[in-house]
Amino acid sequence: MKTDFSAEQLADPEIAAADGILRTCVHYGFCTAVCPTYVLTRDENEAPRGRIDLIREMLEKGGRPDPKTVRHIDSCLSCNSCMTTCAVDVDYLHLSDIARAHIEAHHRRPLGDRLLRRLIARTIPEPAGFARMSRLARLARPVRTLLPRRLRNLVDLAPAVLPPASDLTGVHPAEGTPRRRVALLQGCVQQVLAPEINAATIRLLTRHGFEVTVPAGAGCCGALTLHMGKTEMATAAAARVVDAWDAERDAGGLDAVAVNASGCGTVVKDYARVLERDPSRRGKAAAFAAIARDVTELLAPEELRLTKTAIPLVVAYHDACSLQHAQNIRKQPRALLRGAGFEVRDVPEGHFCCGSAGAYNMLQPDMAEALGRRKAAHVESTGAAAMAAGNLGCLAQLARFTALPQLHTVELLDWATGGPLPAALRDTELPVPIPRRSASEPDTVPAPSATPQQPDSAGPGIW
Amino acid sequence: MSMDAFLRAAESGLGAEHVNTADETLTRYAENTMPGGDRRPAAVLYPGSTGEVAAAVRLANEHKVPLFPTSTGNNMGLGTRSAPAEGMAVLDLGRRMNRILEIDERLGFAAVEPGVSFQMLADELKRLGGQWMNSTTSGPPQGGMIGNALDKGAGYGPYFDHFGFSCGMEVVLGTGDVIRTGDGSIAGDSLINWHVSKYSFGPILDGLFAQSNYGIVTRLGIWLLPRPPAIRSFHFTFPDDDDLEAIVELCRPLKMSNFVPTLFRVSNDLYLIGSEVPSPAYAATGGRESISDDARKALQREHGLGAWTVSGAFYGPSMEAMEPQIGRAVEHFGSVGKATYIPHQEALEKPALECAIASFSGEPTHTELGLLKWRPGGGNAWFTPGTPMDGRIANEFQKLGRGIYESNGLDYQVMNVAGPRFARGLHVISFNREDPDECARADAAYRALAEAFFARGVAVGRAPIDWYDFHMDKLMPSFRDACGAIKRALDPNGVIAPGRYGIY
Repeated sequence: MKTDFSAEQLADPEIAAADGILRTCVHYGFCTAVCPTYVLTRDENEAPRGRIDLIREMLEKGGRPDPKTVRHIDSCLSCNSCMTTCAVDVDYLHLSDIARAHIEAHHRRPLGDRLLRRLIARTIPEPAGFARMSRLARLARPVRTLLPRRLRNLVDLAPAVLPPASDLTGVHPAEGTPRRRVALLQGCVQQVLAPEINAATIRLLTRHGFEVTVPAGAGCCGALTLHMGKTEMATAAAARVVDAWDAERDAGGLDAVAVNASGCGTVVKDYARVLERDPSRRGKAAAFAAIARDVTELLAPEELRLTKTAIPLVVAYHDACSLQHAQNIRKQPRALLRGAGFEVRDVPEGHFCCGSAGAYNMLQPDMAEALGRRKAAHVESTGAAAMAAGNLGCLAQLARFTALPQLHTVELLDWATGGPLPAALRDTELPVPIPRRSASEPDTVPAPSATPQQPDSAGPGIW
Repeated sequence: MSMDAFLRAAESGLGAEHVNTADETLTRYAENTMPGGDRRPAAVLYPGSTGEVAAAVRLANEHKVPLFPTSTGNNMGLGTRSAPAEGMAVLDLGRRMNRILEIDERLGFAAVEPGVSFQMLADELKRLGGQWMNSTTSGPPQGGMIGNALDKGAGYGPYFDHFGFSCGMEVVLGTGDVIRTGDGSIAGDSLINWHVSKYSFGPILDGLFAQSNYGIVTRLGIWLLPRPPAIRSFHFTFPDDDDLEAIVELCRPLKMSNFVPTLFRVSNDLYLIGSEVPSPAYAATGGRESISDDARKALQREHGLGAWTVSGAFYGPSMEAMEPQIGRAVEHFGSVGKATYIPHQEALEKPALECAIASFSGEPTHTELGLLKWRPGGGNAWFTPGTPMDGRIANEFQKLGRGIYESNGLDYQVMNVAGPRFARGLHVISFNREDPDECARADAAYRALAEAFFARGVAVGRAPIDWYDFHMDKLMPSFRDACGAIKRALDPNGVIAPGRYGIY
């Protein structure tokens, strides 16, 4: 695509970066059919190709953006499904970040919108603030029908009960001889809403020879505010995390940074760019980005220290967008779950977002709900007894629309390797345990093939 | 012709919200990847049913307005969703007519509307339990199944021939009349054989609607293959360009007996590697020269692939059960002493071979779309001749084609999709569409290729919109006359896609 920026505009590194990205787009349009907002609205400006054009116009013109453009950028999920399918690798992820920062700097939103965004950006990333907001939301439940749509939505999204707080900061020694030392990012919302995920991660990793350190200062990674265009808040959060890991590396060394919320993982792996304007941290940020791993990248199926019996639970595996589209991680979680003895089923329309998308389901409740219902129906269509995913946001979102037990991948892996029965499965009728075969016996795990799903019965053909 | 009056009538018939003349919309529908430039339509209409399509066609007859039907608009390398000429009213069937109308899990067929994509049907079959699979192309997952079948598109498995494995159409003719083909032509509602039998009473009209402009197909039956419990691919890579001769000789008997149930994908180095990385040589030459042999060899080493790579797959009850067939294939390809075997598990880790495995498995994939970025600027045209499965001829064609690419400063990227007697050669012409000189060379290369192959008795399997007339002019006059006569019979005012495939 041709662009028309002046030399003065291109002196701004953000505009220069946007210009480079815009020029790669040649309007093939593969992105449109995989874009959830386009599929639901059939509006060209609700697709990446249309948004890219709008962003080009907005940045070329400079200054105050057209409210129509703001509306279409706001409605983008940042699911990055478009990037997976783009034939020419348009870096839409960063282009939309630049566009959002421009909007944040040059657009005055209506008062209600400003207040809502400020509330989300200031409370969600702080565990204590999030807990307070959840309690407030619960108190507001009796009058929810009197609230405006988006506030009512916030009340609906708040958990009915928060689990007891647990402090996991500190060093968790490896069982046996330590193989590697990793820092676990405990995140912001996750440690309040689902502390069992971090606990299961620590058990799983330490059981497999990892020394796990959870630095107190490494909380919110900055993802939530980054995708809201609040760059300063995002970089401040990222800086705090990098400083905490830096201190930890100095204290005991770090082989990897483990992330178990894929939305966070995507941003941590991009820290080199997030902190590129911070000369004191730029190098460290790049170094931590280089060793950042989703937790499923740290283990191989053959390394799992499995219990003597397997529970052949049928699990629908939901690909979080941030794992499949942003980090290109699809095979590893499935291989680990299958290796642990679970029957893993793919979810139809797996490339589609569930509507969680960071703060999206708080800011765009109607679209988020439509996508959530659509995804939940697909999950249920698999006939699985439970659903697993690698991102808390997806689990929380889908729990609103399906009664299927929602589990983080690590909870299942922890259970299969000696951890407790995940709380989400306590009321589920479980299959009868079956003995695992010893290493000398033939492999019971189906070899990965191009045909991940197998028919339940004899099927229509004979082979 | 009165486009304005047509659009006013269409708005009252379809609803104003289903008639779009916005500038940005028309710009989008004009876009394609051809050297000949974009073709801006006059309007875009979104019919929602066969009845609405028929109504639009009748209105077009009344106002003498040309219509251009598209399904999902993913005809990449052949015109995308652009009409062959400017000023037509696009009938976008993909927007609202995107329903899977029926799936018969006992008899193994689906009936779909034009907007149903390979991905949509694959998702639905997965949702139903994954016992069936649809044949998919290696093109965009959102490509339309009807559009692909009617353009004689193909997949790679046993049901690769998408037109051949379709059965039973509903068609709006150029007059606005609606017909059903095959056993669907029975008057009445009891149509139990519509999508399972092609050849009952009367002439077989279905073929008239492939690569033509005689009607608008609004429903098509598509046969499904039972999904095998296991699919095990195999791959052999060969070091030299001229190894194609031996490869073709090796593939033929395996397909003649159907020992291998899939087609063979016989891909050259730059076809496979180009799906992964852009040309490393482009910047240095500014696209004026072909990539050098030394640079090609370096890419081959880097990606662990030779000059040609053959891919195929077996279907069976388990991975282990197919060990004897794999052994036989390894022995067979190994007999010439030049093949390096790449087993299934290893191939799964090679991005360049990912597409082959997915395609054999009925899994839509975007991985091969990377070919579109081999050169910058988005230009892409597909030249699709074919060769008999005779190694000597196939290799002669290889030398011929390679020479024409190189004389035009373009990079030879080819996949031969091989059956028992014939292989279709998908030649990718990748060029910078923002560079007029490269556009001119792409056009010149296409014409030179087509002339050279035509002189050897070879036509193309599918034609890009820039060269419809060019190809039609190569055919015998009586055949061209017959095409025109049929057009006048079924579409007397010539309202449906005039000029498509050179038919007016």
